[in-house]
Amino acid sequence: MATNLTRRNFLKAASIAAASVPLSQVTAKAQSGVVKAPLVSPGSFKNTQTAVGGVCEMCFWRCQLVGKVRDGRLIKLEGNPKSIDNGEAICARGNAGVAMLYDPDRLKYPLKNVGERGAPKWQRISWEEALDTCATKLKTIIDRDGAKGLCFFGHGSHAKYLMDFLERTVSTPNISEASFFQCRGVRDTAYLATLDIAPDENVDMANAKVIFFTGTHIGENIHLSHAKNYLRGLEQGAKLIVVDPRYSASAAKSHIWVQIRPGTDTAFVLAIMNYLIQNKKYNADFVEEHGEGFAEMAKGIREWTLEKAAEECDVPASQIKEVADLMAANMPHVAIHPGRHTTWYGNDFQRCRALACLTGLLGAIGCKGGLVLPKGPKGLTRINWPYVPHEEDSVLRDVADEHHFSPPGTPTELLRDAAISGKPYPIKGAVICGQNIMQCMPNQEKTIKMLKQMEFVLCVDIMPTDSTMYADILLPDCSYLEKSDFIKTGQQWDLGKDPQQYIAPRMPLVAPGFERKDSIWITNELAKRMGYGDKIPAQNQEELADKALAGVNLSLAKIKAEGGIHVQPGVSPYDDIDDLTVHFYNEDMEDEGYPPIPTYVPIEQPPQGFVRLVYGRTPLHTFNRTANNPWLVNEAKTNPLWVNDKLAARLGLKEGDTIKLTNQDGVTSPTTTTVKVTPGIREDVVYLYHGYGTKNPEMTQAVNRGIDDNSLITKIAVDPESGAHGMRNNFVKIVKVS
Amino acid sequence: MQYGMIIDVDKCVGCHACVIACKAEWEVPTQFDRNWVHRLGPSLTSDGMAATYYPGLCNHCEIPVCVPVCPADPVNVTFKDAKTGKTVTMEISATWKDPFNGTVQVDRERCIGCGACAEACPYDARFIDESLKDDTSLGKVDKCTYCMPRVAEGLEPACVQTCLARARIFGDLDDPNSEVSQYVKKGAVGLTSKAVQIGPHGLYYASKKGDMELLMQAAPQEMPKVSLRRSMLTRLTVAAQTHMKEIGLLGLAGGLLVQSVQDDDKE
Repeated sequence: MATNLTRRNFLKAASIAAASVPLSQVTAKAQSGVVKAPLVSPGSFKNTQTAVGGVCEMCFWRCQLVGKVRDGRLIKLEGNPKSIDNGEAICARGNAGVAMLYDPDRLKYPLKNVGERGAPKWQRISWEEALDTCATKLKTIIDRDGAKGLCFFGHGSHAKYLMDFLERTVSTPNISEASFFQCRGVRDTAYLATLDIAPDENVDMANAKVIFFTGTHIGENIHLSHAKNYLRGLEQGAKLIVVDPRYSASAAKSHIWVQIRPGTDTAFVLAIMNYLIQNKKYNADFVEEHGEGFAEMAKGIREWTLEKAAEECDVPASQIKEVADLMAANMPHVAIHPGRHTTWYGNDFQRCRALACLTGLLGAIGCKGGLVLPKGPKGLTRINWPYVPHEEDSVLRDVADEHHFSPPGTPTELLRDAAISGKPYPIKGAVICGQNIMQCMPNQEKTIKMLKQMEFVLCVDIMPTDSTMYADILLPDCSYLEKSDFIKTGQQWDLGKDPQQYIAPRMPLVAPGFERKDSIWITNELAKRMGYGDKIPAQNQEELADKALAGVNLSLAKIKAEGGIHVQPGVSPYDDIDDLTVHFYNEDMEDEGYPPIPTYVPIEQPPQGFVRLVYGRTPLHTFNRTANNPWLVNEAKTNPLWVNDKLAARLGLKEGDTIKLTNQDGVTSPTTTTVKVTPGIREDVVYLYHGYGTKNPEMTQAVNRGIDDNSLITKIAVDPESGAHGMRNNFVKIVKVS
Repeated sequence: MQYGMIIDVDKCVGCHACVIACKAEWEVPTQFDRNWVHRLGPSLTSDGMAATYYPGLCNHCEIPVCVPVCPADPVNVTFKDAKTGKTVTMEISATWKDPFNGTVQVDRERCIGCGACAEACPYDARFIDESLKDDTSLGKVDKCTYCMPRVAEGLEPACVQTCLARARIFGDLDDPNSEVSQYVKKGAVGLTSKAVQIGPHGLYYASKKGDMELLMQAAPQEMPKVSLRRSMLTRLTVAAQTHMKEIGLLGLAGGLLVQSVQDDDKE
């Protein structure tokens, strides 16, 4: 008899447990007893139902989706044709949501750690036991130390409801969101201190004549409608200026690439402003009308001549002049991008403030091609946990009298230091939801110390991560495709077109698998057990969405009937700046002892034999969140280290060599990566994609793949104004392995 | 009619959505791709520093070298023009060029998995999925179909639909008014070299000289040598496998016959 396991026999055997096998291979038709699978998949359109109401969360831009579903199984994700944001397009990660949904490594059941934190041994437990344990442990800490004995780390819409419960009703003041202290918070507070608005990324690149990026690399950081916006600008003839030590994806599309010395961007911007002011090339009418403290700033930055900045930034003075002249010739239609991941060197508040001042100097606000005020839909009802004031003397930044321009929440360093030292008060309970603190907060040793001293650590996530290894109880969340927890709103991506607005509440495209529960259910069940049952604002995810939508006379059912997105006429964001003030000089900052005008703060340069380690994004991954996605892994298997070709020649490195990195503190990366030799990076810098080098063996695709840049960020820089982490101040040596 | 695809690399940001959308649409096994995006550079070109992307896929060539090397037994197939209803009957092996729309297609049922076509393609646009090995093959070949089943339903190819910048444009190169033909007039070209001139219908447009230089460096520089020995061996192997099985079945049948005769004798 034939002993070969043929494909068809194999499929017959495997079809029962084939959770991750493509559908076409498991849809078996019985033909005279032989299971025959189609050799060609039927495609996403044949015999599929279209489920509407998807809102992506593979990254945080939140494109609107439809799901192609066959027999209860998601086949494919596409952009919702009704979307005036992303349209029918979604990015690689968005498309790979299918592989996330069915990732066999995903968390499936509530788990209890019967091993050590960091070296867990998981035991499956019931939801009842899991929730009872969490409630008892958290309550014990609150009863003894007060709500200030707890802390929370969270990221994304999964985390919001749980965070609001802990911050508002339980009233713990110790909340640290990666989006604020490790990403964009410093940008928002710097713009608030300059223009009284948080800029988000509301910059009208599509209608700009000049686009100015400092360290922004659209193409590597894909936020879909934002990338569309940028490309439309280029298509319509906008001139692109990119300031970056590396020839990034956007540098490759630029008209002027400024190959700047890292950390000196503020000096570059100050020299542009000084040149424009000295040569009367700025928008004098706008400054006259909206400016405050202009004369003080003009005087204070006078030292920043083109020549001085040229030396500091290591770029030609003529190039700074060229950039400034190009801006002046096209003002006010100059899109000065506020940046996204803005926590670089610990002098970032001043850089972001300088960018905001330059925007004001050119009058590039509220006009075509400028920074605009968002005009999304209004009127959604705010549904939230009732607010209970924090205990006195519990807000760490107030106690420390530091970081007076901090974004909401607690600067991570203050929180971590308090937990480790027990001063000014002990923090013994940690709740972590959707945030991988091991790979986003610098100095992993310190994070481990903080976690190890906790009495109780609860993690809620969809994947096992390097952080969930430190949980006592680990709860499996539904993914964004299996629940409703967020309402995405916005306006049409090209602001020059007919003003329109949209409301797109997230709706589940498929039912949750295994024992996964959505975070609203999880939070409510915890709240009941902790004695806050009477404070619950909505009994379930549908009620939460419907209550919010009631404010605009809509409901999930109505929006579903409209194809998953409600679109209504909008308001143009142009010319709405009557009340705007540009604080070139900020008195409040002076009162708190910070420089009141944008000021360049030099940073340490690499010691002999070392190069600076910087990191960034690949379009295929969102931090470490997508690191285990098999489809994405297949496209971007590792994170090659960009090494300047001359440096590589000196070090005897060739393309494809395997290397490790050792930093200035003697920390060596536990894993390896390969070398990419290119003239497209300065000799004093090397570059990696972030999100690689996972340590958790339960992430079978990601584990030990590439180098985790964060494992080498042991030297911490903290922005004095905002308390945000600067994460590009570490220096490395390249060690050849093979 | 000749379907073709333009890649406007001025608009491409290298996001790879096209690759993953194709994977989802056609349930391509994780380790294989029907299309790809390679990041080219940053490198120094005659026009200074440049970096761009090479989103590649089957070029549905004018002279598809993959077609004549297919050793599968030819069969007669009648093709019908979707527009005019005109028909043509041709003898084809397991891969062929469609006489009406100019696309190159594969019949996976008849593919013996020898890999000759994959080896013949200078663009490396085909792969053999060896996990699909069965009684008649060593695996099955797969490649981009220009999403003909989607196009037949009035949809765009999956990669085109998901492209955020419309850097991919699909259409009829024989129609002078089509967007793809406009791009040809603007200077879109196939990635060919001195030795590789097989009329690719996947064409690339870049306004920057340095980008075009990098793309042309990515073009194949020589025609692969197809090992006929390999395809012949495959035929022998597959035939032998089938034969062995037949012998086995014959033996079994013989055994059963003997058994039944014996049983008959008993009665």
